[in-house]
Amino acid sequence: MPNRHVINEIIAAYANAALNGANNAGGRDAVVEVRNQLVQILEFMSTNIKLRLSLDDEVFTPEQRSELARKVFEGYNPVLVDLLSVMASRGDVEKLRRVYADYEALIVSKLDFNVVDVTTVVDLDDNLRTVIKNKIKADLGRDCVLVEHIDPSIMGGIVMSTMGNYIDASLRSQFDRARIVLKEKTDGGEC
Amino acid sequence: MNATASKYVRNCASGFVALLGASAICPLPAFAAEDGAGIGAILPQMDEFIPMLVAFIILWIILAKFGWPLFDGMLKKREDTIKNSLEKSEEARQESERVLAEYREQLEGAKTQAQQMLNNARQSCEAMESEMKAKAQEEAAAIVAKAKVAIEAEKQSAIEELKGSVVDLSVDVATRVIGEDFSDEEHRKLIERYVKEAGSLNA
Repeated sequence: MPNRHVINEIIAAYANAALNGANNAGGRDAVVEVRNQLVQILEFMSTNIKLRLSLDDEVFTPEQRSELARKVFEGYNPVLVDLLSVMASRGDVEKLRRVYADYEALIVSKLDFNVVDVTTVVDLDDNLRTVIKNKIKADLGRDCVLVEHIDPSIMGGIVMSTMGNYIDASLRSQFDRARIVLKEKTDGGEC
Repeated sequence: MNATASKYVRNCASGFVALLGASAICPLPAFAAEDGAGIGAILPQMDEFIPMLVAFIILWIILAKFGWPLFDGMLKKREDTIKNSLEKSEEARQESERVLAEYREQLEGAKTQAQQMLNNARQSCEAMESEMKAKAQEEAAAIVAKAKVAIEAEKQSAIEELKGSVVDLSVDVATRVIGEDFSDEEHRKLIERYVKEAGSLNA
């Protein structure tokens, strides 16, 4: 079994290949698209163990695993499909989550911007995008690309996350905090 | 006592012999011979009296020689027996008095001991009663305290549950009101305010 330094190099090579391929193919938009599709695939594979195991199953030949990956992820960005095909042929699909983490880090270090997931109840307008980007630039010191999500379950407000950092300014969390505070108070809110 | 009786008998016999001697010497028989009536009627005839006196003296000598020592021995023996019996009875009486005194002393001791035991038992009983009362009171107090704690805990639990229900209901109502009443524009304003108030992403 290869040691962890070799594994880290393998993961970094996959991430570099994906980033360079996407950047060469479509610039920042393609890079962000590949990143978002990586997130989708990871979510999908976390709920579909059979697919994940099949892509690394040595019962199949490397060619069969590569072909399987290509067919399953046919509609995704070609750079990502190539990456998954190579990883499947080598039995490295299990390393995909770490490849994603390296990929995001490479976006920051090589392309000097952050991809920020923004979740709200309603669509953002240009004003809000500007406000959010300014806020993130002030916090992180670099440009950002917003990946917008609509999630009515947060009830209102906004949730932002990038590179493992997280700001939950949603109404749902506010209500949860209020619920906890009110339940823990022993004076019943008396004056 | 036996010696006294023997001496008394000897004295009586000596007196009687002297009386008989005097009677023989005195002129009374002359009066009796002269006068067959009166006092002569009660005086003995000499011819009868002398043989009788001799017989009496012989009898007295035989008795004094053989009868009196035997009688005296019997009396002496009887005296000794009675004396021994009296001494024994005296000893028995003294022994019985001693034993009685001892029994009385023992009885007194037993009474004192019994009284002491009774007092001890009474004291023990009182102490035990006091202890049991104190223990019962302590247990009752503990039960009451535990019950109070349990009641208080139940009360607090009920209050907490009620408060939680009220909070949940209030928050749910607030959530529903906000979710239904907020327009898109109001949501955007809220987002903008929250973004400005939010902490740093670089924390």
